[in-house]
Amino acid sequence: MEKQEISGNAARDAAALKALLPAQDILTFSFEDAVKRQYVCIFADALTDKELLAEQALRPLRAYAGDARAKAVREHVLSPEVRTERGLDKLAEEVLAGNPVLVWEGADEGLVVGTKKVNVRAVTEPPTDVAIKGPREGFIEDVKTNTSLVRRRFRTGELMIEMLTVGRRSATSVALCWLEGTCRRDIVEEVRRKLGAIDIDAVPDSSYLTRFLSDRPYSLVKQVGTTEKPDIFCAKLAEGRAGLLVDGSPIALTVPYLLVEDFQSSEDYFVPAYRATFTRLLRLFALLVAIYLPAFYVAAQLFKLQLLPVKLLLTIAGSIRDIPLSPSLEMLLVLLVLEVLNEASIRMPKYVGMALSVVGALVLGETAVSAGFVSTPAIIIVAFSGIGLYAVPNLIEETSVVRLAMLLAAGSVGTYGIVLVSALCLVYLVTTENFGVPLGAPFAPFVRRDLRDTFVKYNLLSLKQRPAALASPNKRRMK
Amino acid sequence: MKLSSRQILFFLAAAAPIGKIVLMPARLARACANDLLFPVLAQLLVQAAIIFCVLLLARREQTLYALIRDAAGGVAAKIAAILFSAFLLFAAFLPVVEQKLLVRSIFYDTIPVYLVFTPFFIFSAYLCARPLCTVGRMWDILTPLAAVALAGIALLSVGSADYGALAPAGAAGWEGFASGTQAACSWFFDAVLLLALIGRFPYTKGLAWKGAVCYLAGGAVLLFLLATFYGVFSEIAVAQTHAFARMSGFFSGMTVLGRIDYLFIFAAAFVMTFYVILPMQAAVGTLSEAFGKSRALPALLSAGINLAMLAAVYLTNFHTSQIIEMLTGTLFWLYPVFAAGVPLLLTLIFGRRTHETVS
Amino acid sequence: MKRFLKHIPVKLWAILCIAVLFTFFSNDFGLVDIQKTALVLAAGIDRTEDEFALTAQIAVPKGSDRTTGGTSSVEIEGRGATVSDCLADLYAKTGWVPKLVFCDLLVLGETAVQRDVFDCLDYFLRNEYIPDSCLLATCEGSAGELLSSASAIDDTSALALEKLFSDAAQKSGWVMTTTLREFAIGYFGESRSGYMPYVRAQAQEGSQEQGGQSGGQGDAQPSQQEQKIYSAQETAVFSGGRQVALLTPEETFAFSLLEGNIYAGTFTAAGKTYVVLRDSGSVDVSTADAPAISLGVTCKVQLYGESETVPPEELAKGALSPEEERFLSDLLASHVRSLWDTCAGAECDLLFFRRSLWRASPAAYGKWKDLPLASVTVRISARAEGLK
Repeated sequence: MEKQEISGNAARDAAALKALLPAQDILTFSFEDAVKRQYVCIFADALTDKELLAEQALRPLRAYAGDARAKAVREHVLSPEVRTERGLDKLAEEVLAGNPVLVWEGADEGLVVGTKKVNVRAVTEPPTDVAIKGPREGFIEDVKTNTSLVRRRFRTGELMIEMLTVGRRSATSVALCWLEGTCRRDIVEEVRRKLGAIDIDAVPDSSYLTRFLSDRPYSLVKQVGTTEKPDIFCAKLAEGRAGLLVDGSPIALTVPYLLVEDFQSSEDYFVPAYRATFTRLLRLFALLVAIYLPAFYVAAQLFKLQLLPVKLLLTIAGSIRDIPLSPSLEMLLVLLVLEVLNEASIRMPKYVGMALSVVGALVLGETAVSAGFVSTPAIIIVAFSGIGLYAVPNLIEETSVVRLAMLLAAGSVGTYGIVLVSALCLVYLVTTENFGVPLGAPFAPFVRRDLRDTFVKYNLLSLKQRPAALASPNKRRMK
Repeated sequence: MKLSSRQILFFLAAAAPIGKIVLMPARLARACANDLLFPVLAQLLVQAAIIFCVLLLARREQTLYALIRDAAGGVAAKIAAILFSAFLLFAAFLPVVEQKLLVRSIFYDTIPVYLVFTPFFIFSAYLCARPLCTVGRMWDILTPLAAVALAGIALLSVGSADYGALAPAGAAGWEGFASGTQAACSWFFDAVLLLALIGRFPYTKGLAWKGAVCYLAGGAVLLFLLATFYGVFSEIAVAQTHAFARMSGFFSGMTVLGRIDYLFIFAAAFVMTFYVILPMQAAVGTLSEAFGKSRALPALLSAGINLAMLAAVYLTNFHTSQIIEMLTGTLFWLYPVFAAGVPLLLTLIFGRRTHETVS
Repeated sequence: MKRFLKHIPVKLWAILCIAVLFTFFSNDFGLVDIQKTALVLAAGIDRTEDEFALTAQIAVPKGSDRTTGGTSSVEIEGRGATVSDCLADLYAKTGWVPKLVFCDLLVLGETAVQRDVFDCLDYFLRNEYIPDSCLLATCEGSAGELLSSASAIDDTSALALEKLFSDAAQKSGWVMTTTLREFAIGYFGESRSGYMPYVRAQAQEGSQEQGGQSGGQGDAQPSQQEQKIYSAQETAVFSGGRQVALLTPEETFAFSLLEGNIYAGTFTAAGKTYVVLRDSGSVDVSTADAPAISLGVTCKVQLYGESETVPPEELAKGALSPEEERFLSDLLASHVRSLWDTCAGAECDLLFFRRSLWRASPAAYGKWKDLPLASVTVRISARAEGLK
C-alpha cells in the first residue's frame, strides 16, 4: 500500500486522517488565520488538553499571516514540544498518543503539538513493597512520571533513557534506562534486540515483556527482576543492570536478574548489617519452611516416622486418628483450600475480603477440624507454610508451584521424592541464564566477593565493588 | 557455559569423601578390620598422583576425544570414546546399587517396593541430557553442602566413637592390607571422572598440584569419617552397610530433638545423588562429543543409558550381594586398569607433547 | 517428524505428571503409614524351651481430645520360634504393622538371659530399621510381665524404665546402662562380655490401679493392678552372651567409678553420705612378664549428710580428715576388688582385659587370651580426696 503524505489541501488531508482514525472520539476543528488560510486540527478528545492547545497553538495561529511552510508556521506555535511530520500514518499515531495535529492549506508537512493531557494518580507507596524505614515513593502508570522519579535520583549525564515503542496496536512507550559506563553495552543491545523483535498487538502491562526478555520463555522461574520502587530500581541500575519502565504499568523491570535479589529489601540498607543479615536469613528460612514443611509432614507420616520426635508423632497420631483422608490427600485438600481463599480474598472487594477471611479461618478451619474432615496439625502446617510464602513476596508464584510439586513427590515416593525434586530444582536453577548472567550467582557459579550482599549482608562500607556476576565495566562503586 | 578451575577443585575436594561412605566402610572392615584406614590412604595417594597427571594433561585444553582424534584419527578416537564410556557405565553401576540400598534404608521405615527407586533414573536422565559443563555450577553448591553434611555427621558421631578400636595398627597384616586395597579399588576412580572433564575448563597456574591437594584434603575427611565409623562400631562394623547414615544416631540430644542427624544424612544423600550420576553424565558427554552434533543425541543417549541402567539394577535386585562381591572381588582389576592405567598412559603419550606445544 | 520430536519433552513431562498424580492419589506404594502402624516403644523378650515370647509395648494415641497427660499404651504378646516370628504373630493378632523405629528399650526376662541372648538380639542388630541405640536391660522374672505392670510414675512402664536409665541416673553411679550397639561390640569383641542393668519391680504399698491393659492374652477386662516402682541398682554381667553373675549395688557403683561416669552421685559409709564431685577411673593392662590389670579410681568427695545432728560450725566444713580420706579410699578399693572378684569368678571380662591386651599387643593377646581372669594379677588403687 502506498504511503500517504500531506498534500497541502487541508480538507483532503483532514479527511484522509479521519479515514485512518474513524473512531468517534477523534475530533476535528477548523479555523482560519489572519490571511483566511484554512487550518484543521485533528485531536483525540479525552487525551488532549484543549485549553493548552488553544493557548499555545490556536490563538497565535489565528493572528498569523506569514508563509504557509511548516517551518514558518512552527515558529509561531508557543508549545515547547512541537514537531513536523509528513506521513499521514505518523500523524495518526501522534493523534492517538494524545498530541493534536494541525494541517492547513498549502502545508508541506503536518504539525504535531505536544499538548497531551496526562491524567495520572499521585506518587504513593506501593502496596506490594511497604517499607517501615526508607523511601515511600512508588512508580505509577505514567512512564514520564516514572522516568522523572529515576532522573531525580541520578543527576548525571550517564543516566541514559531511551524511549522505545512496543506493540503494533497499543504502541506502548517503553523507557529503557541504564547508566552509561556502568551497564554492559551488550546487555543494552540485547534488550533493544529483544524488544525490537516483539511482534504483539498490545502490551497492556510490563509483565507482557518479561516473557520476551527471558532466554527460557516457558520457564517456571522468573528471569526478569521487578520492582515498584524507584529507589530499588535506581540501586539496580547503579549495580550495572538495565531497567525498563513501561507506560501503563507501575512495575518496572530490571535485567539481568539474580535469584538472590528477591531476598533483598530496600529496608535492609537502612538497618544495621547484622539486622539485615538476620532478616534475610529469616526470609530464607521462611521460604524453605513454606516449600518443605507440608511435604516433610506428609513424608514423615507415610514413609518415615522417625523424622518426628516420638512424642510429637503420638500427638499427631492422636489428631489424625479419625480423619477419613490419607495424610497426603488431607494436606493437598487443605493447601488447595488455602490457595482458593487466598485467591478469593485478593480479588474480592476489601470489606467482603475481610468477611471471607473470617469464613475461611473460622468456618472452614475450626468447623472442618471439629467435623473430623481435617486434622489440627495439617491446618497448622499449611498456615505456617502459607505465612512463610509471603516472606518473599516476589517469589510467591514460583514457590507455590514448587511447594505443590514437593507435596506430590512426598505423597508418592516420600522423602526421597523430596530430595529428587530438590535436585531437579537445583539443576534447573543453576543452568538458567539470562543476558549471559546465571540466575544462581553468586552461589552457582560461586563468586566469593558477591556473597557480601546475599543472605549475609556486610556493612555498606564493605560493598565497595559492584556485583562481579554482572561483569560491569565499571567495577568499583565506592572508593 | 564452561567449567572453571575452582569448580574442578571443589569437585575434587568433595568427590573424595562423598561417594565412599555407604558400603565401602563395612566392606573394608570385613577385609581388614581395624586397619581399614591404610588401604584407603594408599588409594588416596595413588588417585591424587593420577589426578595430578590428568590435570597436567588438561593444560592442552582439549577434551579426551579431541586429544585422541588429533593424535590417532577419528575412528580411533571414537573407539576410545566407546571404551571409555563403557568403563564409566561399568563404574557407575556400583554407586547406583549403593544409592538404591541407601534409599531403601534411610528414606523408609519399612522395606518399600523396589519401584520407589525409579524416579532416580528419571532425574538421572534429565541431568545426563544437560551439558557436561553444568557439573561445575552444581558442585559450587554441592561442595559446601557436602562439607556441612559431613561435618554434621562427624560432629554427632565423635562422642560415641572409641578411637582406641583402631589399635593395634597393622594387626590385619599385609594380607589384610592387600585384601582391603583390592576391595577399595571399586570406589576409587575419581581420576577417570576428571579425565572426562578435561578440555572443558581452562588450566590455571598450579592447578595440577592444587587439584591433588584438594583431593587429599577431601581424603583426610574420608579417613576421619572412617576412623570415627570404626570407633563407633568396631567389632560390628562389618554389619553396618550404610555406614554414614548409622553412625550419628547415638547422639544423646536425639531423645529431645528427634533424629536431627537426618538433616545431615539427607543432605549427604542429596550430594551423593549427583556424584552417583556423574559417571553416566560423563559417558553421555563423551559419546555425544564423539558421535555428532545433533541436539537430540545427548537426550537419546541419556534415555538409553538410564533405561539400561534401570533394567540392570532391577534385574539384579535380588542378587545385590553377589553383584557387589563380583565388582569388588572378581572384577576389581578393571578399576585400576582404567582409573590408573589409562590416565597414566595418556599422560605418557600426550604429556610430553604438551610440554613441547604449550610453553 | 521434526514436529513430533519437538513435542517429545512436553509429552514426557505430561506422562511424568500423570504418573506422579497416579501414585499420589492411589497412595499405595506398599507403604505403611502412621494409621496402619503399631509404634513399639519397648519390647520384652522371654524364652521357653522352644520358642520366644515377645511382648511389645505399643503406644496408643489419645486422640485430639487430650484431657490427660502422659502416653497410654497397650502390651501385646507374640510368640514364635524367632523374634521375627513373634512380630509376625503380633501383626496377625492386631492387623497393625509393628514398627520398631522408636523402640528405645529391650528388656530380657530371666529365661532369655540363661541362654545366649544373641539368639534373640541378633534380629534387632540385623534389622536396619531398628536403632542400635536402644537400651538393653534384664529383669527379675518375666520381661513381658514387667512391661505389662502398672508403673507408679508413668502411664507407660517403658517410659518409667527409661527414666531409670537416663543420663542423670547414670551420673548418680547407681545404674549402669548399655545400648544394643555397646553390648554387641562387647559380645563380638575379644572379651565376649557385657552387662545390662537388672530391673526389679517392687509393689508400692497401698497402691492399686484401675484398668491397665492386659498382657496380650485377649483379656480386656479392667482389673485391679498393683502399681510398681522399679529399681536397677544391680547389674547383670554376661559372658558369651549368657548372664553369669549379678553385681551388687556397691559393685555397680564401683563399676561406674571405673568408667568415670559419676558426677554428683552419692554413697553412704559409716552413717555418713558423701557426694562424688569428680571421678576418674582407669583400667590399664601391662604385659611385662605376666599380664596384670591395674584398676584405678580417683575421686573428689564431699560430706553430704550425716545420720546424727552436728553443730552448725561442723556443717560448714567441706574438707575431710586424712583418716576419713583413707577410710573412704579403702572402702572404694574394696568395692572395686569385689567387682573384680565377682567378674573374674564368673569369667566375665567386664573390664575388657582381653580387649586391652589385644590393643596393646596382639602377640601378648595370642599368648594370654586363654588365661583365666582369676589368674590375672590385679592392682587396685583408689583415692578419695576431700575438698581442700
